[in-house]
Amino acid sequence: MSEKSKTLPQELRLATSVHVKYIQSLDTRKDEYEYWLTEHLRLNGLYWGLTALHLLGHPEALPRAETIDFVLSCQHENGGFGAAPGHDAHMLSTVSAVQILAMIDAFDDLEARGKGKAQVGKYIANLQNRQTGTFAGDEWGEEDTRFLYGAFNALSLLGLLDLVNVDKAVDHVVACANFDGGYGVSPGAESHAGQIFTCVAALTIAGRKNLVDADRLGKWLSERQIAGGGLNGRPEKKEDVCYSWWVLSSLEMIGKTHWIDRDQLIAFILRCQDPENGGISDRPGDMVDVWHTLFGLTGLSLLEYPGLEPVDEVYCLPKSTTERILGK
Amino acid sequence: MADQGGSAHGIARASRVRTEEQRKVELDKIAKYRELEDQVRSSVARGDTGPDLFQLTSKLLRLNPEYYTVWNVRRRLLTSGLLSKPSAASSPLTASLTASPTATTTPPSAASSSSSLSATQPSHASPTAGRSGTTADSPVDEAKTSTADATPRAAAVVAVVAGQKKDFDILKSELEFTIPLLLDSPKCYWIWSYRLWLLQQVIDRLSVPVARRVWQEELGLASKMLTRDRRNFHAWGYRRHVVAQLESPRLGGGSMVEAEFEYTTRMIRMDLSNFSAWHSRSKLIPRLLGERGADDSTRKGFLDEELGLIREALNVGPEDQSLWYYHQFLILNLVNPVGHPTLTPAFTLEDRVTYVTREIQDIKELLEDYDDVKLIYEALLEYTLYLGQLQGRKLDGAEKDELAEWLQKLKKLDPMRNGRWTELERECGLVEMESFGN
Repeated sequence: MSEKSKTLPQELRLATSVHVKYIQSLDTRKDEYEYWLTEHLRLNGLYWGLTALHLLGHPEALPRAETIDFVLSCQHENGGFGAAPGHDAHMLSTVSAVQILAMIDAFDDLEARGKGKAQVGKYIANLQNRQTGTFAGDEWGEEDTRFLYGAFNALSLLGLLDLVNVDKAVDHVVACANFDGGYGVSPGAESHAGQIFTCVAALTIAGRKNLVDADRLGKWLSERQIAGGGLNGRPEKKEDVCYSWWVLSSLEMIGKTHWIDRDQLIAFILRCQDPENGGISDRPGDMVDVWHTLFGLTGLSLLEYPGLEPVDEVYCLPKSTTERILGK
Repeated sequence: MADQGGSAHGIARASRVRTEEQRKVELDKIAKYRELEDQVRSSVARGDTGPDLFQLTSKLLRLNPEYYTVWNVRRRLLTSGLLSKPSAASSPLTASLTASPTATTTPPSAASSSSSLSATQPSHASPTAGRSGTTADSPVDEAKTSTADATPRAAAVVAVVAGQKKDFDILKSELEFTIPLLLDSPKCYWIWSYRLWLLQQVIDRLSVPVARRVWQEELGLASKMLTRDRRNFHAWGYRRHVVAQLESPRLGGGSMVEAEFEYTTRMIRMDLSNFSAWHSRSKLIPRLLGERGADDSTRKGFLDEELGLIREALNVGPEDQSLWYYHQFLILNLVNPVGHPTLTPAFTLEDRVTYVTREIQDIKELLEDYDDVKLIYEALLEYTLYLGQLQGRKLDGAEKDELAEWLQKLKKLDPMRNGRWTELERECGLVEMESFGN
């Protein structure tokens, strides 16, 4: 692979420095309407951008102290985090907050200046549905395996997984399995690569990966690669860079990454770069955004593209972070 | 972190360079947006609960339906005054009796809130007016019939009815408010989630027949969304949820499995490649057969029909993954090594072997017309291995030769997955040096 990358044409090399600049520029675009329309994703965006920078080997490209201040400014009394100051607490932004603080080793600040780890754990644990084991996104009750995974991710980073009923949650994930080996949003729902990632990763965190039908799931996941090298998220759908993460991380967790063509996927992701202004898009020639930028880079990292820091396939964090916190 | 909102899907990359004029226009747009946002925030901070704030949230959500906090503001406005006091009891009538005195004195009145709602959405103004009290939709008519002869409870009932009428109007108006937003952003989680919350309020606050009618209309919406995008998994999930609620005792429902099965048939006939419909079908079948009280021969007939349907589809579209997955679902019923077949529990081992052998034979015939379709070779490989497992035997020489030939074809037709084919080759004992046996 690394031999091959040297022979790749210029446009198929990772444009590291412009990607760093692109991510740094994201919080300076206050004269763009889109900036204001996406405030409900600010904390998620910070997590996506910061993780991308860590993988690119530029963890210092966003100032640490300001990052911590911003994250803590999003926290509510109940321990949960909103997407930005003035936004309601939600599971998705709370998980992003925990991931950011984990990445920059700032749990101490959460203890000293925030509401503390225990309160965050309590907020998340209260969102578990005690009957079914699954999790809601917030007090209004929408349930989805995304939230279950988010809860497991954040709670295990905080060392507080024992606050929830892990067995019940595992039962729920098992109930979301389909005949094709995949998993859906809830029991009965169609298999979808994004939900497969959340379910397989949740089972992995719970130490119950043995419940995955690895052979059948591996076949389904490997069929996501289509002509052109990109991956789709369901049968007969278009390819999209973000599935480079959802599909590939799932394949990695079940030890079957070699069931797809790595070089073709690398080439597809690199073709989605904006080599002039930085960032990665869903497909070649489309508008870039920080979300696809991160999942293009995590895909490349799993494919061991040279120069990228290794990513943890379960937590979607740099491996150095999960090694430090979880001793993995 | 799995949230897709706000990411750019399928929008062509364009130059970020703006003219000074374009920049001014954008700055102006931003200023207006932020002013509206500030108005909402300061109104919330003041503790406002009235229709003015409600209208502001309508405006803001039309500009940005992803703004989940504003949907929450709206929920709080509804539960803290606009709607009658919530009823925890299972009978909305009894619960509202105790709540009605406060409900009637809590501003805004039904009339003013109702009109302020419709004022914010001109396109729906007339349907709102048309509904007032005289249509068959109205809960008032229903209550009138049930309390036709004036009893001592009449006054209380009238108050309840007024409360329910008000709630009905508001909830209906809210449901209508989300429709254009949903049509514009059919993959926005927050709108779907808000709508489901509204429908839960319908169950909690309105009488069973009224609530049932509202929920029934939701099926129409799910169908509409699925006509526009046949694979939208939000809409499929929504449909499953709506059906489950309509079937539940809370809405006085019964099984809809036949109708839903029929729906998947229609969707499949429209587009064979719609795996979402095939998936849904796979989930409905076990229940369908159970509820039909199907005996062994009916079950066998049903399986034959499904196999016939999918074979017919494969004859014209063997390169379509959706079809093969459904075929696999039917075959798994036969070869499932754990326990008995679920669709045809009376099948003996011999029946199962006969069926799988016949399917393999039919698929081989597909090769006569399509010898370069890799999915055919994949199916042959997989089902041949299943057959061996089912019979608890090792594959014979002729079968191994076939496997080797199919694998060679796959390596040629589908080199992307060579890692998988090579591994399978080893597992099948087709590579002498590293034989794992079978």
